[in-house]
Amino acid sequence: MGLQVKYAPEIPEVFKCRVPLEDTGQVYLMNGFLRDSYSDKSGIDIVPGETSGFKINVEDGTAQNGSVQLISIRDSANTAPVSMENEINVGKDSTSSFLICTHTLSLNEFVTESFIKIEADSYSSSHIVLMQNEHNLSTHKINFIINLQKGAFVRVNIVTLHGALLENNIEASMMGEGAVCELNGIYLADGTQQINTKVIMNHLVPHCNSSQLFKGILDNEAKASFSGRIVVAKDAQKTEAYQSNHNLLLSRKAKVYAQPQLEIYADDVKCSHGATSGRLDQNALFYMRSRGIGSAEAKLLQQIAFVYDVLEKIENQELRGRLQDMVESRLRGEFSHCANCSMNCC
Amino acid sequence: MLTIKGLHASIDGKEILKGIDLKVKPGEIHAIMGPNGSGKSTLSSVLAGRETFEVHGGEVLFEGVNLLELNPEERARMGIFLGFQYPVEIPGVSNVNFMKTAINEKRKYQNLPPMTAAEFLKLMREKMAVVEMDNSFSSRGVNVGFSGGEKKRNEIFQMAMLEPKLAILDETDSGLDIDALRIVAAGVNKLKTNENSFIIITHYQRLLDYIIPDVVHVLYNGKIIKTAGKELALEVEERGYDWLIKGE
Repeated sequence: MGLQVKYAPEIPEVFKCRVPLEDTGQVYLMNGFLRDSYSDKSGIDIVPGETSGFKINVEDGTAQNGSVQLISIRDSANTAPVSMENEINVGKDSTSSFLICTHTLSLNEFVTESFIKIEADSYSSSHIVLMQNEHNLSTHKINFIINLQKGAFVRVNIVTLHGALLENNIEASMMGEGAVCELNGIYLADGTQQINTKVIMNHLVPHCNSSQLFKGILDNEAKASFSGRIVVAKDAQKTEAYQSNHNLLLSRKAKVYAQPQLEIYADDVKCSHGATSGRLDQNALFYMRSRGIGSAEAKLLQQIAFVYDVLEKIENQELRGRLQDMVESRLRGEFSHCANCSMNCC
Repeated sequence: MLTIKGLHASIDGKEILKGIDLKVKPGEIHAIMGPNGSGKSTLSSVLAGRETFEVHGGEVLFEGVNLLELNPEERARMGIFLGFQYPVEIPGVSNVNFMKTAINEKRKYQNLPPMTAAEFLKLMREKMAVVEMDNSFSSRGVNVGFSGGEKKRNEIFQMAMLEPKLAILDETDSGLDIDALRIVAAGVNKLKTNENSFIIITHYQRLLDYIIPDVVHVLYNGKIIKTAGKELALEVEERGYDWLIKGE
């Protein structure tokens, strides 16, 4: 046996996770490498990927309590571009939940690319929440590839709070009948931040359902794009596929590009898409102000209300509550002094 | 309490209020009636400070303060309440959080500390009883999925919570069935004291069977064309507005 060198850097002191939950296992990815392997009694094993990142194995029949949190941190130990390949293999008839958080802890111009491949075997149920909170010098591109077998259910909730240029690409393929895929996301951007979302939803076989709900709030000169394509193959009859993208523009200079697309080759399907962009509702603002609520607070309440239904899709109530709090403090502009963090990220 | 002199207001360059004079004393209930398009809702919006209306003449004094210089939230904190004809739905903001924010903003203005959670819940329960509102209302989004009657009850509930000095109820009776109307009227009557005042804007006499006004005004074409006691409402109900308009 050769000498094994375990890559186990310390977790920087300044890092303090704001979304720890009870019954949650935690693993760290430092600059693209898994710090420690993880395994629990319910049947979940996490080991380093072949070249980088993590490889999760959810055994057949696993019924996980709680969730595992994967915390991906970039810091000054490696400021070169990082590309990591991650895999989540979800076994038959299993239930599992993962929370992936991305952070940057030193003021370097980080460039990160992540591939996350999810293989959802038949009748499995997976819940994945991605929370992105990176600083204004960080570029991060995340590519999800999701394959769903017969009767599999996958729900991905993305909460994009902060970052210079964040790109989320998701390609989901329904490969077995009765599969259900749900993608939800909110993105909040201000300053000159840019957030791009691209979804390709492939319905390859009959009787599958998919839905997409993405909402964004853009202030200052922030930009966002949403490109969503639903492809229904010729044989994929009885498909139900829905997509909606709504944007709230708080300033004249904020921009959003929405590109919903339907490509349907079957003839017995229910599909819809819708995209809107709008401004704050003056009627609702007046209503709140007429109750004594100040203008700034009324605007904030309306923004919270705007993304409310997307956050509602997060099934874990405790996690939902914490993410709601984080969204609120983000919208209040409090991210420049995160709890216990000495950095001025924004 | 409220003195309006020669008030002119317009929207998109169209003049709606053409010289309104009105004086409301503490403890009085005034009813403002009038046909559609006479300017009733505009008057209530202008008093509450809606910015889509432009005031280009006259003055409005509330307890001696020039109301027209204040923004809507300042007016609300001073004690003006507008009950909306069409209450707005705010999904994602629960009734509880909405009212807590509103109450605490008012307390801040009065230099009082924020209410404790226990005090607030007690007040909430007390005032929900005034309009016979179910406890489950408090956790629901503001007006979301509420029936017409529930929305109006919620307006009266909010009024009860905020304890305004002057409440302007803009067609609170529209779209209400008789039971909801009774509940709303009973709520108003319970909240009525010798110190607070109400302006009730309505199309019909019906509400005034339950809330007895001290003064009734008829508004037509942006002006008050008749002011009298409560019997005027009955006369309008019987004879319509034509006789008043023609006699103008």
